[in-house]
Amino acid sequence: MAATAGAEASVLTWSRSELMAIELAAHLRDDDIAVMGTASALPQVACRLAQLTHAPGLWSIAGGTCSVNPRLSPVVQSCCDFDLLRADTTIPLSDVVLLEGRGDVLTVFFAGGLQIDAYGNCNLVAVGDYAHPALRGPGTVGLPFLSRVGRVLIYTQSHNRRTFVEKVDFLSGPGFLGGPDEWSSAGLSGGGPALVVTPLCTMDFDPQSLRMRLVSVHPGVDIDEVRAATGFDLIIPDQVPVTAAPTSRQLSILRDLDTDGLLKGP
Amino acid sequence: MSKLLALSEAVERYVPDGVGLLAVGGMHLHNNPMALVREVVRQGRGIRRLLTSPCGALNADLLVGAGLVGEITTSYVGFEHLGLAPCFRRALESGTIRILECDEAYITHGLYAGAGGLPFIALPAGLETSDVPKVNKESYAMTTDPFTGSKVLVGAPLTPDVALVHAAMADTRGNAVLAGAHFVDKLMVQAAKTVLLQVERVVSTEEIARHPVGTTIPGFLVHGVVEVAGGCYPTASHGAYDFDEEQIKLYLGMAGNAEGVAEYLGQCVTGVTEEEYLEKASPRLGELRYGDGQKSDARSGRRS
Repeated sequence: MAATAGAEASVLTWSRSELMAIELAAHLRDDDIAVMGTASALPQVACRLAQLTHAPGLWSIAGGTCSVNPRLSPVVQSCCDFDLLRADTTIPLSDVVLLEGRGDVLTVFFAGGLQIDAYGNCNLVAVGDYAHPALRGPGTVGLPFLSRVGRVLIYTQSHNRRTFVEKVDFLSGPGFLGGPDEWSSAGLSGGGPALVVTPLCTMDFDPQSLRMRLVSVHPGVDIDEVRAATGFDLIIPDQVPVTAAPTSRQLSILRDLDTDGLLKGP
Repeated sequence: MSKLLALSEAVERYVPDGVGLLAVGGMHLHNNPMALVREVVRQGRGIRRLLTSPCGALNADLLVGAGLVGEITTSYVGFEHLGLAPCFRRALESGTIRILECDEAYITHGLYAGAGGLPFIALPAGLETSDVPKVNKESYAMTTDPFTGSKVLVGAPLTPDVALVHAAMADTRGNAVLAGAHFVDKLMVQAAKTVLLQVERVVSTEEIARHPVGTTIPGFLVHGVVEVAGGCYPTASHGAYDFDEEQIKLYLGMAGNAEGVAEYLGQCVTGVTEEEYLEKASPRLGELRYGDGQKSDARSGRRS
């Protein structure tokens, strides 16, 4: 599904995945060291785009091969792809596990889940009763490390009430746990979830209640659609802007990377 | 003395029926030692407990689908952008296998503990906030840090009885070069009591000696070497060929129910020899071979 907006509507169209990559890129900083894992084509592109635009100093680690600053032309779907080795360097997976544990090196960790709850906790393990799951997920991989990393950026292609739930059935990636009391008493070294980007909107977390809050709706999406697709009481401020539309420069850089058009789909 | 063995002989000799803990190397759809895995299925070797790298894929799902696995120690079994693992999912939803739920930190550090003879290994603070350690008391425990008095999460060592691992090349003594990303394959080799290496090609010790730093697996840790060019197919072999997305999708389509799995196994595993299977795959393997650069020429084709 392509969207258009504003004065550039006659010339610019983009897919929702392209918009999501550009939106994630906008939240990366020049001094970040970011790590991502399974099924991470979207954050890989976001990091490379940031490196080629406003954040040339960003370091990006594709967990899996553990390639540092992969060139990503072409973009690949698998975090273990041999093509990712076209990079500054490739370090052992066990070294990245050490760095994730160290906690004061990596500043950004990309995450996702079959379920994501109001406090940004993620679940990649099981929906329903753990012993007799209605849906058995693949497993959590590195998500428990979310507790130790600077900012957690959550992305998902599924914005619906099955994914966005009040409370995850199984907590496999810690967000703000059960809310402010539990979060402050846990005393974790990580900064917790900072951002959630979906095909419909961008969200962050209210600093007091630590619950998810709408930041902007993507072009062509209205607030009621987001509310209806979210299975908990999302904080909706009085003024909700529209997510900035991609610029022609952003789209041009992104498509130079994504020669196979992996992000061209919905 | 040569450790070179025929595929069937390697499994007959080193993978006993009912093996206690069998580790399968590779990660996601890359460097899965599929020829060895298929041979384990052909010989019907029961596996009391299976261990994957942080991310298992076809290597684990096929063994589960063949009904050989009693328990699985893993932090992920799936097909990344291609979807969930059908046999793993069905087995856990119906309760026919038991899982020891893990995370990447424990799989990696647990193998390190196994490799080094550490009685257990302490894990970074914060990991105890996930539900994973709460549902797996065999792998994780809370104890007291003797230095600070704080509560600390610890993991039990992982010591595979047998590890099946892929390497790009080895000599007949088992000195081996892992090409591309190593994942946790070296740790598996170091932690396992018995190691079977599946390699794209066997080379001379003189050739191996030209890669003194790149030869990360010393032969004294290896028990058997099996030469199977194309043996990771339909998963990728780093440095040699890409994964075959069409074949993986075919598997995912068929493995959605028990009858389909049986049919797939008949067509691709138990009903054919490894030579027959790879002979049939050889045109695709040719297309998937990495070019001079690292990009597979088949990449755009396989996504159609």
